[in-house]
Amino acid sequence: MSELLRLTDVTRTVKLPDDTDLHILTGVDLTVSTGDHIGIIGRSGTGKSTLLNLLGLLDRPTTGTLAWAGHDTRTLRARAAAQIRGRDVGFVFQQFNLLPGRTALENVAAPLMYAPGSAFWKRREIAATMLERVGLGARLDSMPESLSGGEQQRVAIARAIVRGPKIVLADEPTGALDLETGAEVMGLLDGITHETGAALITITHDVAVAAMARQRFRLEGGRLHSLVDVAA
Amino acid sequence: MTGFAAAIVEAWQELRIHRLRVLLSLIGVGVAVCALTCAVAVSSIAKQALVEQAEREGGRPTTYGLYAYSNENGEPPPPAESRRVFDEIMDEFDITYHSAIGESDATVALPTGSRHVSLRAVDVAYADLRRMVPEQGRWLDAKDAQNLSPAVVVDARLMKALRLGPDSLPATVTFGGETPITATIVGQVRKDEQSGRSTAYILFDAYDRWFGATQQMFDVNFQMWVPPKGAKPLSKAVAQEFSSQLPGLQVQVNRQDSSDRGESFKTFKYVVGGISALILLLGAMSLLNIALVTIKQRVREIGIRRSFGATTSRVFFSVMMESVVATFVAGLVGVVGAVGIVNSPLIADHVITNVTDIPPFPISAAVLGLVVSLAVGSLAGLLPALIAVRVKIIDAIRF
Repeated sequence: MSELLRLTDVTRTVKLPDDTDLHILTGVDLTVSTGDHIGIIGRSGTGKSTLLNLLGLLDRPTTGTLAWAGHDTRTLRARAAAQIRGRDVGFVFQQFNLLPGRTALENVAAPLMYAPGSAFWKRREIAATMLERVGLGARLDSMPESLSGGEQQRVAIARAIVRGPKIVLADEPTGALDLETGAEVMGLLDGITHETGAALITITHDVAVAAMARQRFRLEGGRLHSLVDVAA
Repeated sequence: MTGFAAAIVEAWQELRIHRLRVLLSLIGVGVAVCALTCAVAVSSIAKQALVEQAEREGGRPTTYGLYAYSNENGEPPPPAESRRVFDEIMDEFDITYHSAIGESDATVALPTGSRHVSLRAVDVAYADLRRMVPEQGRWLDAKDAQNLSPAVVVDARLMKALRLGPDSLPATVTFGGETPITATIVGQVRKDEQSGRSTAYILFDAYDRWFGATQQMFDVNFQMWVPPKGAKPLSKAVAQEFSSQLPGLQVQVNRQDSSDRGESFKTFKYVVGGISALILLLGAMSLLNIALVTIKQRVREIGIRRSFGATTSRVFFSVMMESVVATFVAGLVGVVGAVGIVNSPLIADHVITNVTDIPPFPISAAVLGLVVSLAVGSLAGLLPALIAVRVKIIDAIRF
């Protein structure tokens, strides 16, 4: 397994309107390799989404280093970060975040609009294959609003993996689903990333969802603790 | 290449999805471009109408008139003799289009009584000099001088007075006097705005034969249509030659055509252009307004796209392209609408009534319409595009 991401002593601080600092993350260390399934559990406001944004190169650490495939990202330009994000990172959001007014096929094909060469020209075929893979081959032309929550999240999963990312970041992927559907979706997400060899990082407040991960962490007070450590 | 194609596809998807909003916002632009293109096209037709009217009144550019008077008594020389000399000089200088012109009065018997009309003696080339195109029948021919009854072409005013309708030619008209003369009307031209009277045209050579015995022509002059380059020296050379061949005459050459037609047209052009620009500005403002409101609604979508790997330049380009593609389509529709309006029978029947050579729809007007629509699209897209690239991804996704 090769190393994808390494966070070393990462902090994230934001300035509040009263000019004081709010420390959201403090001294976070984390290593992610291909094929990993990491579950990060934490209550609301503990910095789960902030951590996910850092991992997805949507945000930058205030201090500490974040290395992507061995390269420090502090000097990474926004354009290069966007290219890595497009090519190697897939996102699954709690609220699905499907593009309104577009069919399931168009939503899944959307990331391929930023792909070079044949992937762009064959985007519809690739997207259709991906939707069949998540069991929505019969709903290609359905609009998001005509799909159930579980189906919408499956479309979002297909969209996240359509460019064959090295890492899939799931932010409360079952948060808007009932228990049964949530379990189905997590099974699908776990299975599909396992098949493709992509690392899966799930951020959740649901213990059951986190339990599906092979490595588990708890985010508390801005610090990341290995659940093994906690147990110990 | 792929990035450009993708941006176009993306822009088109946006337009398709938000078609109602796009349609509403683009109506203003389409109408403005249509108005602008129509204004340019109609002004081109109006310019042609002004040019033609000027040419009917004063001749084509550049037309010179030659007037000759006796140095002793101020009387003009005998028309036949000066006519012969003028024709020889025209041959010598290789001037193709020239005409002798003489005025006369005649009385015409009408169903309602008799009326004084202008009888203008001209040569065949007069129609070319004055852009006269018969509305019915034909113009005078050199062979008409040999006819057993004089051939005349009448203007629309006389035609109406004679109660002759369409397809009623050839017809006859009787010119009164001591010996009434019945002439054959072979053609009809538009009414003579210059004299403001009913007018009949007869060949200069035929006038003497039929009317010369009872009434002499007055205001006899000779006109020639010459190339603009070197026209002035040429006209002076003609006058000099005329003087040398007919000594004892004072000979004058004057330019006949109107030379300031461009000036009179400018005001019209500026007024129409100003109104069109104002309409366009309002259209652009409404487009910008809707584009700004929309981009605020699309913050989340932009954030999601950024999470897929859309770079800031790509987001900027996509938002710009949406505006440009949309306004280009609106502009195209506006231009097509303008072509339809300008070429419609309604315009042909009610607006373009005074033009013989209707100019084709000016390509420049169509190009201007499209260029303006692209410019409006770019300007209206710039501000929303700048806002779109300033969106913070994290905030946008949570929006």
